[in-house]
Amino acid sequence: MPEIKVTPLGAGQDVGRSCILVSIAGKNVMLDCGMHMGYNDDRRFPDFSYITQNGRLTDFLDCVIISHFHLDHCGALPYFSEMVGYDGPIYMTHPTKAICPILLEDYRKITVDKKGETNFFTSQMIKDCMKKVVAVHLHQTVQVDEELEIKAYYAGHVLGAAMFQIKVGCESVVYTGDYNMTPDRHLGAAWLDKCRPDLLITESTYATTIRDSKRCRERDFLKKVHETVERGGKVLIPVFALGRAQELCILLETFWERMNLKAPIYFSTGLTEKANHYYKLFITWTNQKIRKTFVQRNMFEFKHIKAFDRAFADNPGPMVVFATPGMLHAGQSLQIFRKWAGNEKNMVIMPGYCVQGTVGHKILSGQRKLEMEGRQILEVKMQVEYMSFSAHADAKGIMQLIRQAEPRNVLLVHGEAKKMEFLKQKIEQEFHVSCFMPANGETTTILTNPCIPVDISLGLLKRETAIGAAPDAKRPRLMHGTLLMKDNSFRLVSPEQALKELGLAEHQLRFTCRVHIQDPRKEHETVLRVYNHLKGVLKDYSVQHLPDGSITVESILIQATAHSEDQGTKVLLVSWTYQDEELGSYLTSLLKKGLPQSAP
Amino acid sequence: MEAADEWLLQSLRLYRDLHTFELQAPTRLIEWARGDRRVGWAGGKPSPCSWLFMPTHQGVCVAGYGQSDGNEILQLIPPPTLLTKETQGLCPERDFKVECGGFSERPVYSLKYVPDTSLLVTSGPPDSSLQVWQVSAEDSDVIKSISTIATENGTGQSWAKIDTISARAPWVLHGSRLDRIQITEVESRKNVYTAGIQAPQGSEELSSLAFLDCSLLLLCSATGRLCLADTRQPQGLTEAVPVPSAPSSERWCMGTRHAAQGSQPSSQPVARLSSRGLLALTDLRKTSEFLAVAKARVPSSGSGAEFLCVSWAPALEGYLAVSGFDGTVHVYDTQSWDSSGREAEPIFVHKGHTFGGAGGSRDPPLVTVHTWHLQKPRTLLSAASDGSLHVWDWVQPCGKCG
Repeated sequence: MPEIKVTPLGAGQDVGRSCILVSIAGKNVMLDCGMHMGYNDDRRFPDFSYITQNGRLTDFLDCVIISHFHLDHCGALPYFSEMVGYDGPIYMTHPTKAICPILLEDYRKITVDKKGETNFFTSQMIKDCMKKVVAVHLHQTVQVDEELEIKAYYAGHVLGAAMFQIKVGCESVVYTGDYNMTPDRHLGAAWLDKCRPDLLITESTYATTIRDSKRCRERDFLKKVHETVERGGKVLIPVFALGRAQELCILLETFWERMNLKAPIYFSTGLTEKANHYYKLFITWTNQKIRKTFVQRNMFEFKHIKAFDRAFADNPGPMVVFATPGMLHAGQSLQIFRKWAGNEKNMVIMPGYCVQGTVGHKILSGQRKLEMEGRQILEVKMQVEYMSFSAHADAKGIMQLIRQAEPRNVLLVHGEAKKMEFLKQKIEQEFHVSCFMPANGETTTILTNPCIPVDISLGLLKRETAIGAAPDAKRPRLMHGTLLMKDNSFRLVSPEQALKELGLAEHQLRFTCRVHIQDPRKEHETVLRVYNHLKGVLKDYSVQHLPDGSITVESILIQATAHSEDQGTKVLLVSWTYQDEELGSYLTSLLKKGLPQSAP
Repeated sequence: MEAADEWLLQSLRLYRDLHTFELQAPTRLIEWARGDRRVGWAGGKPSPCSWLFMPTHQGVCVAGYGQSDGNEILQLIPPPTLLTKETQGLCPERDFKVECGGFSERPVYSLKYVPDTSLLVTSGPPDSSLQVWQVSAEDSDVIKSISTIATENGTGQSWAKIDTISARAPWVLHGSRLDRIQITEVESRKNVYTAGIQAPQGSEELSSLAFLDCSLLLLCSATGRLCLADTRQPQGLTEAVPVPSAPSSERWCMGTRHAAQGSQPSSQPVARLSSRGLLALTDLRKTSEFLAVAKARVPSSGSGAEFLCVSWAPALEGYLAVSGFDGTVHVYDTQSWDSSGREAEPIFVHKGHTFGGAGGSRDPPLVTVHTWHLQKPRTLLSAASDGSLHVWDWVQPCGKCG
């Protein structure tokens, strides 16, 4: 039976990095190549020895696919391609290709420069790795080779995130990466067509979550900002150039307008330029609203939000500042943080995950005394808040996606089997599909039932139509033909045509059987008796008495001769072709029973 | 979207905290998975009824009640902000986690955890039998159906109302009509007590029932009749309080308050709510008169009494909440009420469910149930017919309510 094999790489039950190996119809694909952010040693990289046992990675893998730029999905890519060694193609969407190297370089700087690690990839390695990348567009079918093709679908979540369909012949797998099913202010919702893959691979980690609405999260954010500003404090929001910054800006602008607030809101100039640049490039990746805004005016032309000047940080009174970088590890956001940290009226709101070693990570862990350059201790008295705005699917979202795609099987990665039984049952009951939950390092084999398309010759089709009713897509019908396999195609043709094409001669098989009957009369009288008998019994068949003394039943021939030694016995010769086998053997057994006694 | 945005902005000053969730299917029950841990006994003779309990929250249970098969029972772990009494500063997690779940073949109208066990009992149409389930969060996350407590199904029996207690053994009190209520031992399914009121009142449908303690039972019929029973007495049910007003087509339900440690269960006032919005408070020790009567400010159109719900605040003296008339939940302070029956002004009205996500042309959502947080004084959870589940912590207005 054909099968698809899936192995999530990694150790034990840990969640936190994505790297999945898929074998489909002889092709091997690696899905994502993430870094585990919780480890400082080699455990942060996926365990590639599972694959390298089989020889060179480049020979073994047909391609690598990266779903989006988050480090837990692409963080180990330079290590994998340059330090372990892989020279084949790496596929990702255009925005991912543009943003990945920036994040990887940032991450490298923090890990090597700040923390002094040595077993890590270099800037040059990041560049060399990106040279192997082939960027793809949404819904574009990309031929990796003659048999393997991939296609990217919109996933929402972050700019450039995609779900990928991997197809070889009639077998296909869809990998979702991270996605969300509800649109937000700057990204749309994930979408899949009814592609009916053999397997859908998705994360289980969010399946058991029921998420608080976006609006309540935003409300919480607004409340915190408002309260700080009301008491005269300053709010620092460190952001990465893309993504949440735009959303939060739009949110604050609307709020300020509505509440007629006067406190100034600033964003750092570096932010504007980068963001505008990327949004211009990837405008099709954002949602309708942003696109409209962008077309009408510059993304960052807000009424209440102005460009920041570093001198403003010393101004008295309340203000809100958006500054990069997002983890407070360097640059303007760190500068501002140092100035404001000592005042308990102020607040810093971290909008995302922070890598270990950064100031952001330290203060989120509760540290309130930080060692800065030159052994200076910084006391953090300002309020530290963390807002989780990341857009992930939840249980409801997963069910929606499965409903859209109609896979035959579902595979959930990164969950504990015990804790996922309910979800498994739910999926199995609602969609009548099998649901698999492999542990990391465990291989799951899914049996597929591929349909092999066969072309039917026109002649055969016409012949079949002539026999009975027209072909009906809903009713299977039995028919006879010859299956020809030539090159990589299958055709169904009539036997005659097959013989012709193969250059074979047709042979006719004819069977003859002798039936002895006790009958002392003359031969022609016996024949008449047989004829009448058969005519009476075989009412639905054409029974004929020919002038030459033989009987035909359809195409079967019956002749009577006298037995050479015994005059009282007549020998009936029953002769039929292979096609009439059934009728022939029926006739034979009928005749063997003997003729009725009554007078002819 | 305008009105919804407006409300959200107003909510900044109306609520300290606000969470809105969307369940896959609407629920008409919210039960605290109350793991009451026995920690000792409260003074005097140690009898089973004076154990000292420390309520610990393990989670919240919701369940589907729709027509189709495969209604889900979900035990949820609330976000960390709700598990602690004080609101912590740094709490990024605002989501519920599904801890375990089960599938019920019938709609789940009522669900009660059986204290000191890992069992829960559910009931729902088409008959008055009960289903017993096992929650074993340790080795699997599936809530398994383990047995059924069958009942004699007379004609006109609807689904059973239930309450549970673990006194001498885990017991469930159940019944659908006044003429027959039973206490059944959950594990052995043995019947330990039966009582009922004769006709004609006996044919009245029960709207709620409760264990006041391990031997005192309180029942409320749909006509508003309150009956008491003492399992130690042979008389069975006695009518405690007649219907509060001229019998009409109103339906009634009741809300009881758990007694504080050391006090008598019957010292707590019982509230009865009618489908017309009438609220009658009764002290069980003085049943000849009403403690207070007032009218809630609810729409008179009355969309039926299916989801009428009234409950006392566990941590705020004299406060109760009312829902089931429309998409709102009202909070009242009953301390200033008298017996005049005039309209009372709510202290707070939660309107969140009226801004239903699906919006527009469909029927506005109806609040199906609400419950109070056991420790945070002004926090409530409410659910509506559109599948929404809200958790809200309202700000006490200093003067008139907003």
